Amino acid sequence: MRGLTAATDPATRAVVGRLRDTARDAGVTAWVHATRLDGPPGAVGLADDAPVAVASLYKLPLAVAWADLVERGELDPGARVTLPARGRTPGPTGVAMLLDEVDLSGRDAVRLMLAVSDNACGDAVLALVGLDRAHRLLRELGLPGTLVRQGSAAETAAVVRDTAAATPAEALRLLADPDRVVETTQYDPAYASAATAAQLGVVLRVLWSRGGAAHEVVRDAMAHQAWRHRVGSGFPHDDVTLHGKTGTLGRLRHEAAVVRFPHEHPVAVVVLTRAARAERHLPRVDAAIGELARLAVGPLRMPAAGAGVGLLPR
Amino acid sequence: MDLIRHLRFFGAVADARHFGNAARDLGMTQPPLSQGIRRLEQHLGVRLFDRDARGVRITAAGRHLLPAARELLQGADDLVARARDLAVPEQPRVGVAADLDGLVPALFRAPAARGLPVVPTVAGSVELVDLLRDGLIDVAVVRHPGVVDGLTAGPVVVVPMRLERPDGAGAATQGGDLARTNLPVAVPPRHHQPPAHDQLVDALRRAGHSGDVVEARDVGGRQALVAAGAAVGLVPAGPDDEPTPGSPPLRLRVVQPHPSHRRPEIDHDAVAEALGAALAAAAPLAETLGTSQSQTPPAAASPPTVGPPGPRPAT
Repeated sequence: MRGLTAATDPATRAVVGRLRDTARDAGVTAWVHATRLDGPPGAVGLADDAPVAVASLYKLPLAVAWADLVERGELDPGARVTLPARGRTPGPTGVAMLLDEVDLSGRDAVRLMLAVSDNACGDAVLALVGLDRAHRLLRELGLPGTLVRQGSAAETAAVVRDTAAATPAEALRLLADPDRVVETTQYDPAYASAATAAQLGVVLRVLWSRGGAAHEVVRDAMAHQAWRHRVGSGFPHDDVTLHGKTGTLGRLRHEAAVVRFPHEHPVAVVVLTRAARAERHLPRVDAAIGELARLAVGPLRMPAAGAGVGLLPR
Repeated sequence: MDLIRHLRFFGAVADARHFGNAARDLGMTQPPLSQGIRRLEQHLGVRLFDRDARGVRITAAGRHLLPAARELLQGADDLVARARDLAVPEQPRVGVAADLDGLVPALFRAPAARGLPVVPTVAGSVELVDLLRDGLIDVAVVRHPGVVDGLTAGPVVVVPMRLERPDGAGAATQGGDLARTNLPVAVPPRHHQPPAHDQLVDALRRAGHSGDVVEARDVGGRQALVAAGAAVGLVPAGPDDEPTPGSPPLRLRVVQPHPSHRRPEIDHDAVAEALGAALAAAAPLAETLGTSQSQTPPAAASPPTVGPPGPRPAT
């Protein structure tokens, strides 16, 4: 990755400087990687070889593993999954925030896991795929198993334990206290699901290179992501398609996305941030993620020869 | 020949247009100055000054060479100044955020009172953190929140603030004052610590204030704005002050390099402790909530389930 990312031309080097300035202005530590998915190779990176705790971004490689298993015939995408009201992982969105038992297909669980980062569906898909199989598939792709170290339930349990809180809600309140610095193992790539920004770029490259119907399900779910306040805020253009997956925990705010301008090669962009501020709502940081993505994608934009109506947008 | 020394002669005579006056400016007598100019002219192979009965006039060649000479002299001065900055003093080099207003002198006084004389630096928090990372200072008191990657930071000290009004009626403030204040708040420049600045603006709005602020480079500038009635001030509440209810506090942390990056001849912890004690004394209402010494996570109850632990967070 290093060789691909090493900025050789002055324009790319200047971009790295602007990425640093933007991160400083927003009060975040940032790890950024952008890479063209088609056409001539090209990449921009800021500390993109450093491992970072990725929070819910583990759901992205997990979805790729699920789709690979479906295409190999090892998993049935239509198999029913029952998520009982008690015992499923709680969370702020999707099935995780519902009150009653839910019965849905495996592929719909994947879609909710991606489109609204549903924690209950995330853990259900992890159970379908299995940690061992997920790690084997990641290894085959040359990626570390740490990318999917655990699911959402384990992450939440660790945060509750680290903060000595009574409930997950209280744990998140403690992490957001502006008057003290509260740490958790889930900020640490040695304990949490972790990846470098460049490795998440590889995950997106793999996903965009696969032709299977299950992979299309995954990409389509990412196009339906409910939030456009991070990477999307850097591309406020109705004709630019965005496929994204966010990850959020305490001071961590991430997104991995594919940006596609009409008639241009798609560009994968991964922005991982750790904010100095602890508060849960930091619109300025979300907007900075958009700005970092825009800065990183800019020098990689390139017209796709013959990319007219004939080439289906993915 | 000592070119720099002789170029100084050249510059002095060009400024004074008079050998006697130039010699006086240089703190020397005229004969060696005249000889020096002649030696320089021989060395350069051009005549720099015309001397006649009416005095000294710079030649065309002299005028042409003067800017280059001044540049060399300035470069030499810069080099000496930079070397002086880089010479590492034996005393602890302590940085204090310029945003601390009236607390700054007390913070520097405290270590000295404990027999720990320090070399002071006052700057924005972001700059102090850069200086710490570059090994150019040893300990700093910075505003929280801010990025302190790669450094060891102490607990957050929360200093209550009071509103300072143009009429000086700061102490006798009452609840809801911030909400009723139509004036902007005089604050340090945002670039001193962007996340702390943004947090302050958010807190002002939360308290019912417009969130309008005026950035002033230093304490004097902020006091002037308040005195002129153009802004209200937010200053640390002293021992006899009543903090303004709802006013956002000043949050501070004592920051130092990781132990392995410290100068062994300096007792960093003693300095940090003195600074902490000084903060507590200068702002008796300050509170320290919870303790977290560094970016190191608490010990996990269960080991990682996958592969060997990766490297530490990028710092």
